[in-house]
Amino acid sequence: MMHRILVVEDDPHLGAGVVENLRAEGYEVESVADGRRALEWLAGNACRLVLLDVMLPELDGLTVCRTLRERGDNTPVLFLTARGDPIDRVRGLEAGGDDYLAKPFHLRELLLRVRAILRRWEWYQSASAAEGAVLRFGGNEVEFRAFRARSWNGVGQELTEKEAMILKVLAERPGEIVSREDLLERVWGYDVFPSTRTVDNFILRLRKRFERDPANPRHFLTVWGVGYRFMTEGEPS
Amino acid sequence: MKAPRVFQLTALALVLVSAVQVGWWLFDQHRLAVDKLQEMQQIYAQQVVAAQALLEAGTPAARVQALLPDIVVNNQRAALSADVDGRLRAEERRRVAQYAWEGSFFIIALAACIAVIAGALRAEARVIEEQESFLALVSHQFKTPLASLQLSLETMSLRPLSPEQSRTLIDRMLSDLARMEGMVTQILESIRLDRGRIDLRNEPIDLAAAVARVITGSEERAAKERITVSADIERGLGVMADPLALDVILRNLLENALSAVAPLGGGTVAFTGRRADGEARLSIRDSGVGFRPGDAARLFQKFSRLHPGGGGSRFGTGLGLYIVRRLMQLTGGRIGAHSEGVGQGAEFVLAWPASEPRQSVAGAPGDAAVPARREHS
Repeated sequence: MMHRILVVEDDPHLGAGVVENLRAEGYEVESVADGRRALEWLAGNACRLVLLDVMLPELDGLTVCRTLRERGDNTPVLFLTARGDPIDRVRGLEAGGDDYLAKPFHLRELLLRVRAILRRWEWYQSASAAEGAVLRFGGNEVEFRAFRARSWNGVGQELTEKEAMILKVLAERPGEIVSREDLLERVWGYDVFPSTRTVDNFILRLRKRFERDPANPRHFLTVWGVGYRFMTEGEPS
Repeated sequence: MKAPRVFQLTALALVLVSAVQVGWWLFDQHRLAVDKLQEMQQIYAQQVVAAQALLEAGTPAARVQALLPDIVVNNQRAALSADVDGRLRAEERRRVAQYAWEGSFFIIALAACIAVIAGALRAEARVIEEQESFLALVSHQFKTPLASLQLSLETMSLRPLSPEQSRTLIDRMLSDLARMEGMVTQILESIRLDRGRIDLRNEPIDLAAAVARVITGSEERAAKERITVSADIERGLGVMADPLALDVILRNLLENALSAVAPLGGGTVAFTGRRADGEARLSIRDSGVGFRPGDAARLFQKFSRLHPGGGGSRFGTGLGLYIVRRLMQLTGGRIGAHSEGVGQGAEFVLAWPASEPRQSVAGAPGDAAVPARREHS
């Protein structure tokens, strides 16, 4: 199936170059030149990936991404920007971005990253569909496709895309040790994050959502120095 | 820390220490003077006591006064002469006033030194900060055309392309190079203007000819973007300015206007020149994206790019209008900008003291016979 990608870039030459190359790779591509139009387009249309410039007229890319996430839209976002400092990368990812590419970039790298994000997303979607899409553990219920969950105390939870993907990777291998690097690779791709501590923060968030006592977890267990182990039945306390 | 900064901070510390030292000296001198006066008063008081004792011992008053000339005797009572008392009090007042004036002068002088040095330090810090943000912004501005250039080249090397596709990419690359060249020129111009390294001539120029020349230079772009550029300049309207500076000013303003109109898919840019109130006024009005009225002053700041909802050029460096304003200041003119709001177009008005043009136009080779009114679309 042809993937649809939205390119949001205000520089006409760069925008045209990116659009032409993505089309040549077989993607269906739409493009807009400012943040407000991007949000308008995304409100009425669906796509598999948004390539989003950070410095945009009207609304900057970070605000666009944040607004998308607030709307509950989990469409993956790849930021393209002239600012490539680590702090800018972190800002982009905190705004809900999936990856970050600094200008000027190599065409091959752009295409690789686009493919990687689409592959991860496809994996998540297909795996979620194939397994009936509901994970039950310790009184919690997670609907992967809808990014929704109900925790043991009956509270409804809206999962972010990354939380759901981490949970998915862990749930695929119950009882096994999954390293932080594995989680990074499967959920974010290669060199996106400056540190694996980010994974730890997401695990903390999952514990708060699904553990009866987040300080003494029974499902999301830390394996010191390696990574995490997910127990569906719960570790006896 | 850099050596000049260490030097400045040391100087500031020395001046501060000196101010404290001067303050202490003044206080000490004042105290000494007051002590001296009190001592004198005590000595005179002892003389009064001695004179009284002599009087009571039967010494004649005349003899007592001869022995102690600062003492007066009235009815066998010794007292200090009013003259001496007044002199002592006057001396005390004189010294206090002297220290107050001198002290204030030294303290003010030192405070002024401190203020000057502190001001210099702050100015230097500001310059360093400006330079750093200038560098950051310049490198940022270059990254987009560089990215576009790299993408075009990599596309050519990665994909088999038709001659038409190759032509499009080559045109795009040439345009990106022109953009970068334009940026380098603007950055260098702005640096030269900032440092005052610009030598401007002052000669009479015919405004109609100068405007016609820049319009001709942008004909191709205007036609491509469906923008009608017109000029209606009063015949014989001239200004005293540097021809090259005026050319840069007009070119930048026209580019700015074209960039503001282009996103709307076409429109108009109109130059109007009139003589009014002893001034030559040139208005450049466009039907472009306009800007919020409150942003008018920001337009002329370095690196301000307001974008639609702002009228900034997509390819701009944010330096064009800054350069225009600096050049207008240097050529004795002024510039203002006005817009009714976003989507309402914009008007830039230039004003110089009027002057009569010469027959031939300085700095405008081959353009002496440009008609006063012409239109291009």
